[in-house]
Amino acid sequence: MNMKRVFGIMLLAALLAGIAAPATVSAAKNEVVLRICNWEEYIDLGGWEDEEVIDLESGDIFGENSLVDDFAEWYEETYNIPVRVEYSTFGTNEDLYNMLTIGDVYDLVCPSEYMIMKLMSEDRVQPLSDSFFDENDENNYYIQGVSPYIRNIFETHDINGVTWDKVAAGYMWGVTGFVYNPEVVSEEDASTWKLMENPEYVRQITMKDNVRDSYFAAIGAMKSDLLVSEEFTGDENYAENLQNEMNDVTQETVDKAQDYLQRVKDNLYSFETDSGKADMITGKVVANYQWSGDAVYTMDQAEEDEYYLNFAIPQECTNIYFDGWIMLKSGIAEDARKQHAAEAFINFISRPDNVVRNMYYIGYTSTISGGDDGRVFEYLEWNYGAEDDEEETVEYPVSYFFSDDPEDENYVLTVPAEQLQRQLSAQYPSGEVIRRASIMVYFNEEQSEMINRMWIRVRCFNITSVPVWVWILITAVIAAGVICHFRRKAANDKLYS
Amino acid sequence: MRFSRKTLGIPYAVFLLLFVVAPLLVLFYYAFTNGKGEFTLQNLTDFFTDPNTLGTLAYSLAIAAVTTAVCLLIAYPVAYILATSKLKAKSVIIMIFVMPMWINFSLRITALKEILTLVEGNLARYPFLNSVIGMTYDFLPFMILPIYNTIVKLDGSLTEAARDLGANDRMAFLRVTLPLSLPGIISGISMVFLPAMTNYVVLDMLYNSTYIMGSLISSYFAAFNWHGGSMIALVLLGIICLFTLLSDSGDEKTARTGGALL
Repeated sequence: MNMKRVFGIMLLAALLAGIAAPATVSAAKNEVVLRICNWEEYIDLGGWEDEEVIDLESGDIFGENSLVDDFAEWYEETYNIPVRVEYSTFGTNEDLYNMLTIGDVYDLVCPSEYMIMKLMSEDRVQPLSDSFFDENDENNYYIQGVSPYIRNIFETHDINGVTWDKVAAGYMWGVTGFVYNPEVVSEEDASTWKLMENPEYVRQITMKDNVRDSYFAAIGAMKSDLLVSEEFTGDENYAENLQNEMNDVTQETVDKAQDYLQRVKDNLYSFETDSGKADMITGKVVANYQWSGDAVYTMDQAEEDEYYLNFAIPQECTNIYFDGWIMLKSGIAEDARKQHAAEAFINFISRPDNVVRNMYYIGYTSTISGGDDGRVFEYLEWNYGAEDDEEETVEYPVSYFFSDDPEDENYVLTVPAEQLQRQLSAQYPSGEVIRRASIMVYFNEEQSEMINRMWIRVRCFNITSVPVWVWILITAVIAAGVICHFRRKAANDKLYS
Repeated sequence: MRFSRKTLGIPYAVFLLLFVVAPLLVLFYYAFTNGKGEFTLQNLTDFFTDPNTLGTLAYSLAIAAVTTAVCLLIAYPVAYILATSKLKAKSVIIMIFVMPMWINFSLRITALKEILTLVEGNLARYPFLNSVIGMTYDFLPFMILPIYNTIVKLDGSLTEAARDLGANDRMAFLRVTLPLSLPGIISGISMVFLPAMTNYVVLDMLYNSTYIMGSLISSYFAAFNWHGGSMIALVLLGIICLFTLLSDSGDEKTARTGGALL
C-alpha cells in the first residue's frame, strides 16, 4: 500500500468518526443543547460544607449541586423537555469578543455593559421574546424580581434606539472603589481617586490593569476639584453632567490622562490583573482599586485571618457596572426551543433562592431584589443584621434598590456601625453613593482606538528616556566586539595561510 | 501492507501541518492585511516608526541580554566544575539543578515572589532587577544542561596535549576547552535569550508594569488589533531566524578552528 492510500484511509476514518459521534448523541434523545459562556467563577458550583447552610426563617438555602446541573433538572421537570447545557467560561470581555470573532458559537453569554453595547451596535444580539416580560407567568422570575433601580437604568439607556432591557437581563452589578488597610490609610485618603498619586503611599497601591478602569480613575482624579464642587453636584442635571464628564474622550483629555497615568505609574505598586486580592490579604499593599464584588471577597478572606480591611468609594464619583445575559443571533439561529431554554436559564438563576446561593458563593451583588419574594432582603438581614447585644448600630436604608419608593421604610437594615466601611457598603452601596455613580458608555471604534493607544503608551518603555551615557556605552561595547572579531579573524587567516 | 520507515513520520507531519505551518500562515495573513482584508505593508512600517514598539523592543532586548549574561556567568562555572570533577554522582547533582523544572512554573515564581519580598521589603521598587532574577531562576537549567553536555563529551587528551606543549591551566582552558565548548554556550544562549524576550508572565507576576514583546502582543490582541499584533510576532520571528542563522555560521567556524587545534 502506498503512502497516499494510508493517508487517505486515515483521513476517511477521521471524517467518519467526526460525523458519527454527534449524530449518535443527539439522535438518541430529543434534547435541547444550550451553549452558555460565563465569567470564570461566576456561578454557584455547589459542594457546600454542611455548616455553610443559610438558615433563613423562610427556609434553608443550600448549594448541593452546581446551579447549571440544577437548571437542567428543573427545566426537564417544569417543561418536560430534556436540556443539555454546555457550560464554558471566559476571562475578560475582550477574550469573549475575540472568541466570538474566531467563530466560537454560544447561545447565551454574560459580558459587561460596554461589551453588550458593542455587540448590540454590531447587531449580534437576539432580542428577548415577549413572553419573557410576562409578569403573570409564575416561572418568569427575572421580570418579577429585578430591582426597580436596575430596571430603570436598563430602560433609560439605549443603543441605536433599542433600550438595554429589550435584549439584556442583568446578572450582577457593582461599583468601583478602594479596598484599604485602615491601620495605614485614613478613610479620608482612601475616599478619593487622588489616592493613586498620594506620595505617602508610594509603591503601596495597586490599580487594575485595563484601559477602561484606569481611564475612569484618571479622569476622576484629574477632575476631582470640579466633581466635588457644590456648583457641580448641586446642578439639576447633575447625573447627566457627571456621565458626560466621566466619559469625556476628547483628544485633550486623553492626552492629559496619559500624562497623569505615566506620572502615577511610578507611585503605584503595579497594575494588576489578578494578584490584587491576594496581595491585599497578605499585606504586600495597603490599598487596591477593586470592583465591589471582588472587594467583598477580599474582605471576607482577610477576615478569616482576623485581618480587617475597609472599602471606600471615591467622593468624586464611582463607576457603576453591570454584567448581563444576552442571547446571540449566531447561536440561537431562530430556534424557538433553544431561545426558550436560554430564557428559562435566566429565569432560573433569577429565582431568589438561587440568587442568594450565587451571591453567597461569588460575593457579587445580584440585580435581583426579589419583588414580592422577600428572601433576598432576608438574606441581607441574615448576613449583615446586628446581633441583639451589638453596641454600636446604625440604620442603613437600601430602599432605592428594593422598592419603587426610595423612602420606603420596609427596607432599612439595622447593622453594626463598622459595616458602613465594610462588605455591606461594597455589596449594597448607600443611596448617597448611588447618586454619584456613573456608567461608562461604549466608545465607538475611533474613540476606543484613541484610549487603547493611550494605554499602550503608558505601559511601554519610553525609548527617549534612556540617558545618553547608556547609548554611548552600548555603542562602545558593540564597537569593541566588532574590532575583536576582525582582529581574531585576521589572526586565524594568518594561521591557515 | 508495506510498512516503510516514512510511515512513522506521518503523525509528526500531521502535527507539523496543523500546529506549526497552519498557524504561521494565519500569522502571515494577518500581518500583511488590514481590517478590510486588503494587502498592506502598513503594519510593518508602523512597527518601525512607532516609538512604543521600538522602546518595547529595546527594553525586551535589555532584559533578555542581562538575563542571558547572568545565566551564562552562573551556569558555565557550574557546568565546567561538574563535568571535569571526578565525582561519581555527577548525574545526581545535575538532576538537582534540573529538578525545579519539575515544579509548576507559576508556583515557583510565586515562591520566589515571597522570598524577594522578604529580602527587598517592597518588590515594586526594583522591577527590572526582579524581572531579571525571575527569568534567571526560570531559565538557568536551560543554560547549564547544554554546556555540561558539551564539556563532558570533550576529549580529555586535548587538554593534556595542550599541557604537554607547555600551556598552563589558564592557557589550556582559554585556547582549548572554551572554544570547544562554544556550541554548548550558543545553544544555551538561544534557549535563554529568545524566551526571555517574550515571557511576560514573569514580569506580570513580579509586578513589572512595563511591557515586553509578549505583553505588547497580547495588548494589541485585547484591543482587537490582530493585524498589528501579528506583525509584532512576525518581526520577533524574524529576529529569531536572524539569530539562529548567525549562531549556525558561528558553529561552522568553531568546528573549523577546533579541528585545526588538533
